[in-house]
Amino acid sequence: MDVICAGKRSITLKINGRERSLEVRPNEILLNMLRERFNLMGSKYGCGIGECGACTVLLNGRAVLSCQILAISVAGQEITTIEGISRGASHSSHAGTAPAGTLHPAGTLHPAGTLHPLQAAFIEEGAVQCGFCTPGMIISAKALLDKNPDPNNEQIKEAIRGNMCRCTGYTNIISAVKSAAKRMLKE
Amino acid sequence: MKNFKYFRPKNLDELLAIKNELKEEARLLAGGSNLLVYIKEGSLKSGTLVDIGSLAALKGIREKDGYLEIGAAETIIDIMASPVVSEKLPFLRESLRVFANPLIRNISTVAGNIAEGSPIADTAPLLLVLNSEVVAASITGRRNIPIDDFFISLGKTEIKANEVIITIRIPIPETGRGKFVKLGLRKGTSCSVVSVAVWLIANGRGVEDIRIALGGVAPLPLRAVKTEALFRGKILNEHNIGELALEVTNEITPITDVRGGAAYRSEVSAALLSKAVRECLGMEE
Ligand SMILES: Cc1cc2nc3c(=O)[nH]c(=O)nc-3n(C[C@H](O)[C@H](O)[C@H](O)COP(=O)(O)OP(=O)(O)OC[C@H]3O[C@@H](n4cnc5c(N)ncnc54)[C@H](O)[C@@H]3O)c2cc1C
Ligand code: FES
Ligand code: FES
Repeated sequence: MDVICAGKRSITLKINGRERSLEVRPNEILLNMLRERFNLMGSKYGCGIGECGACTVLLNGRAVLSCQILAISVAGQEITTIEGISRGASHSSHAGTAPAGTLHPAGTLHPAGTLHPLQAAFIEEGAVQCGFCTPGMIISAKALLDKNPDPNNEQIKEAIRGNMCRCTGYTNIISAVKSAAKRMLKE
Repeated sequence: MKNFKYFRPKNLDELLAIKNELKEEARLLAGGSNLLVYIKEGSLKSGTLVDIGSLAALKGIREKDGYLEIGAAETIIDIMASPVVSEKLPFLRESLRVFANPLIRNISTVAGNIAEGSPIADTAPLLLVLNSEVVAASITGRRNIPIDDFFISLGKTEIKANEVIITIRIPIPETGRGKFVKLGLRKGTSCSVVSVAVWLIANGRGVEDIRIALGGVAPLPLRAVKTEALFRGKILNEHNIGELALEVTNEITPITDVRGGAAYRSEVSAALLSKAVRECLGMEE
């Protein structure tokens, strides 16, 4: 039988297309790992208990709440955060290497990078106010469009049901998803 | 100081062995949508987290001997997407559409939903009206627990400390129609205040058989057998559905809590039951 892991365990997983290895504690939450260990600050900490959707990431292509998942459970799997969906984004973060307090290039766009159509549409449609829910919204919308490139309003509402926005009132968010879908269908 | 250990069994034998050794100290982690909240809130401070989320032995959705068999680690979303479920029991797929939201459905399991003996677990009324069985396993063997015997008291189920749920078995109904309705505080991200499941076998509007189950109105999810008996044999019409549904309030013992008062829960139960029956009969869409 495999030894029960009491202290840290080293895991390897893919984050935004890059293989990463690190040591995690048994109860380390995926969201905290992404933010604190990889400086991927796009995924937000809203409630920490599954209610708000601000921490949404893709796990093997499915939208999930990273505050509800242990880092150790996703060993060997593939995570995509908001930083990983813009085209040509650099995802240049290094586990554990960022000295505390320094600015880190993680999540910043590569000079040659372009926004994902969802990101562009969110800006154009005024679907972002404070922006706290936006990464999660976009990830949920991406999971939807990957499966269903031409969703109707009901399907969009359903897809973002777990993502709360306290600012925009959802109308612009739904328009943004529709407009991104249109754009992506044309491409 | 939080003191957790982690173990990911590679097969069922390893899972059953560790469960036998550690008993309650082994906390099964399926989707984690409940467990991670306990860790975060601090009500769970220690234990060995036994990760069964990707255990192949607990995966699989198949039809066998007239039963739909669902592996304990299958997620709600995979159950909804399963062609076997769509073909043999579309009622289950339709009912799960009101379960939480896609983010939670992507990780949650039915076994994790019922394992804590919560009266508001949405799948409990479904499993009850479908006469399901829960298959439990331990190092000494397996047993099939009829769902009617599964819930014992608030927070307590028939699953022993050395057992795990390995499969949910649902007899595929030959006739009848089902409907599940729930009232939550918010659409999407919320547990039920009251939920009602109905399985109705009718001839026109004549009730040949009916099974009714409710969540959130007693310490356990429960079958409303007395109300079922009153419905049986009746020819239903606009008037008597509501009257019969009202009888269910004599069978439940709702409590008052942050989600609603007891009287409110009673009224809602009758209203939801009436709605579910009408929908089974196609009187309402
Ligand atoms: C935002 C939010 C919304 C929610 N909405 C709903 C809702 O609409 N309806 C609803 O019913 N619930 C809801 N829930 C509660 C929760 O998502 C469900 O109960 C879910 O089904 C739990 O499954 P899981 O696989 O995530 O369980 P886990 O958290 O992994 O486990 C839950 C419990 O079950 C035990 N367990 C798991 N698998 C087994 C097994 N095979 N054998 C024995 N014990 C086992 C675990 O040890 C643990 O005690 C919601 C939760 C959140 C956070
Ligand atoms: S932070 Fe994860 S759902 Fe709110
Ligand atoms: S833009 Fe502020 S929460 Fe959505």
